[in-house]
Amino acid sequence: MDRHQTTGAMSEAELAQLLSQVRAGDPDAWGELYRRYAPAIFRFCRRVLPTREDSEDATTEVFMKVRQKLGTYDSSRPFTAWLYKVASNHCWDTLRRRRIRQDLETGDLDTLPLEHPDPSQIERLQAEHTGKEVRGGLAKLPDRARMALVLRYYADMSYDEIANTLGVRRAFVGVLLLRARHQLRDALSGTAAAGAQKASAGGKS
Amino acid sequence: MNRLDDHFDEVTGLLYLEHQLDPEHTRAVSEHLASCAACSGLLRALESESLWLRESLTAEEESIPAPLIAAPGRGTVQWGWVAAFGLAVGGAYTLWSGIVEPWVARAQQAGFTQGYLLTMLFFSGASWKGWDAMRSLTEFLALATLGTVAIWFLRKHWQRFTTIAFVMGALVLGALALAPSAAAADIEHGNPSYTLPAGHEVKTDLIVAADRARIDGDVDGDLISFSSSLTVNGHVKGDILAFGAEIRVNGPVDGNVRVWGQSLTLDSAVAKNVMAWIGAAEFDEKSTVGGTLTMLSGATELNGKIAGDVLAYVGDLSIGGSLGHDVTVRGGRLTVGPNAEIVGQTKYTGDREPEVSPGAKLGSAIQYTVPKRGPDYTRANYYLHRVFFWGASFVFGLVLLLVAPGFFADTEQASKKIGPAMGFGVLFLFATPIAALIACITIVGLGIGISALFLYLIAIYSAQVFVGSWLGEQLLGSGVGIGAAVGRLALGLAIVRLLTMVPFAGPWIHFVVIVWGLGALVLALHKRMRPQVAAAA
Repeated sequence: MDRHQTTGAMSEAELAQLLSQVRAGDPDAWGELYRRYAPAIFRFCRRVLPTREDSEDATTEVFMKVRQKLGTYDSSRPFTAWLYKVASNHCWDTLRRRRIRQDLETGDLDTLPLEHPDPSQIERLQAEHTGKEVRGGLAKLPDRARMALVLRYYADMSYDEIANTLGVRRAFVGVLLLRARHQLRDALSGTAAAGAQKASAGGKS
Repeated sequence: MNRLDDHFDEVTGLLYLEHQLDPEHTRAVSEHLASCAACSGLLRALESESLWLRESLTAEEESIPAPLIAAPGRGTVQWGWVAAFGLAVGGAYTLWSGIVEPWVARAQQAGFTQGYLLTMLFFSGASWKGWDAMRSLTEFLALATLGTVAIWFLRKHWQRFTTIAFVMGALVLGALALAPSAAAADIEHGNPSYTLPAGHEVKTDLIVAADRARIDGDVDGDLISFSSSLTVNGHVKGDILAFGAEIRVNGPVDGNVRVWGQSLTLDSAVAKNVMAWIGAAEFDEKSTVGGTLTMLSGATELNGKIAGDVLAYVGDLSIGGSLGHDVTVRGGRLTVGPNAEIVGQTKYTGDREPEVSPGAKLGSAIQYTVPKRGPDYTRANYYLHRVFFWGASFVFGLVLLLVAPGFFADTEQASKKIGPAMGFGVLFLFATPIAALIACITIVGLGIGISALFLYLIAIYSAQVFVGSWLGEQLLGSGVGIGAAVGRLALGLAIVRLLTMVPFAGPWIHFVVIVWGLGALVLALHKRMRPQVAAAA
């Protein structure tokens, strides 16, 4: 799976060497690891958490956990997968702590519209909205839906990993993702409708 | 495989695209797609949506905060924490060496120990001799604190300077707009002295700030004084509110007298109540108080007539006058002279037995109690009270948890940052009341100051809740949900309560809990006060 990378070119051997130096307590190696991966983890947190400041704090805390848990990393697996796993657990934990009552959010996982959506409507949304608007729409989604989309389409996590992180059955991950897409479409359609209304009002005045 | 009117449903389409179907279903979908244009169209739309989502989410458009781009230094403590902690330590050292230590020495010389030390520290005459030093210190601490806190709050938001400037400007304008209401009084600045001549009358409230103020004329309103020395010979028809080293009231007062300073001499009639926080007070034989007398004082002589109750916490109280109602005294020494008359009951708590002259007329024998030092571990009541206190703090914590679960979680998380939390806890524990008192002195800021003090007390009480919750998490783990949170809170608070009951160490543990929790609260508040930007800008 092609994990999202933000680091410069670094071979597996170089990464293994860097990680072994970090494990040995080399502060420069730790600095290098942080420089390479902190931006990607910040962007991950930024897409999941509500504010930029939360994301900054979370990035710092994720790397503190990485430092503590680096001994448990299995080097036969991709490092970025493990890193995103730590980050996603941390962010999900943060979101859940802030929202003690989650019943409303999780109770209707399997309620999806039965009819097929209009493909042209989906394509029109893609044409009308920039990446920034998509990320803005993402912020309006419930925590679980937002988290599912980010885990899948930013961190490239497998369905098993997503199920494990979010604490749902694997069979529900597809439903969860599709539902999140519907919610995002609705959020963006609302934005588009509001924008059109505003433009129309502006034209009249 | 789910079919809908001979078409695949959307979930099946997505699972097919993402290779999540088993081979049998995959084959069935593939066969159907070969002959169904509608489902093919849907799959194309879903596929392009996946690509669009991936591109949108992985775009590297937003800026990365500078601290994250730079590699973490070997010491990752932020400068704000260092500055705050350094400032607090510096302030505490200055406070100790410049003021507390000399007071302690003086208190010991005067024979005051332990329980009455507090009285001496705050209300002895010596304390106010250091008024100038105290003022300089408080001003320094308050300004430095405000500056540090302001810079720390704004450090990440200089780009929002326009907004900040607008808000600050609005605050200043607000303060200026409030000023006229305060200026409904006659405000006099002595240079250096102020005198209201005899025969003159101020027809409104009079506010005086001067080195020496002398009021020989009459005031048809309240008299508010911030003067080192205040002498009132005229008639005040409202209240007297005075802060100063030496306060003397020789003229009649129709309202209340409330003073805070080094010495008070009353030689006239006060129609209502007297409240004094004073180093030394003397009520002359001619003085009368129509209402109650409440005072915290180092030494007091009551030779006048008090119509109402007397409630006094005094190092050395001498009664030589007539007290028309009950008297409750806690202090170092009580002397009742031969001319004294106390109509009601007298309750006295102190180390030394009261000295009562045979000629004194008492409504009933003095009820004397020797104060107990520290908790009485042998009494069941003590433990019962601890359980009640635990229950009260648990209910308080529960309300916080249910009303603001997000903020509660943030503060609990902030408790994990023990160093910064302790640093800010120390800073805010000492600096907040100082800043609030200074705000009170400026009159315009009275409401803000009192509100700040009120919130400060609530914050101090809530500190145990957050530390307790943190402690609970260490023991029970970080389970999610209301049940786990309540369990953590209950257990953690119980442990905090138990620890504070430990002889000798208990009060120190309580202090650490307050500092720690207060700091965590400040960190969480700071996090909340930062501008909320829509996610994924």
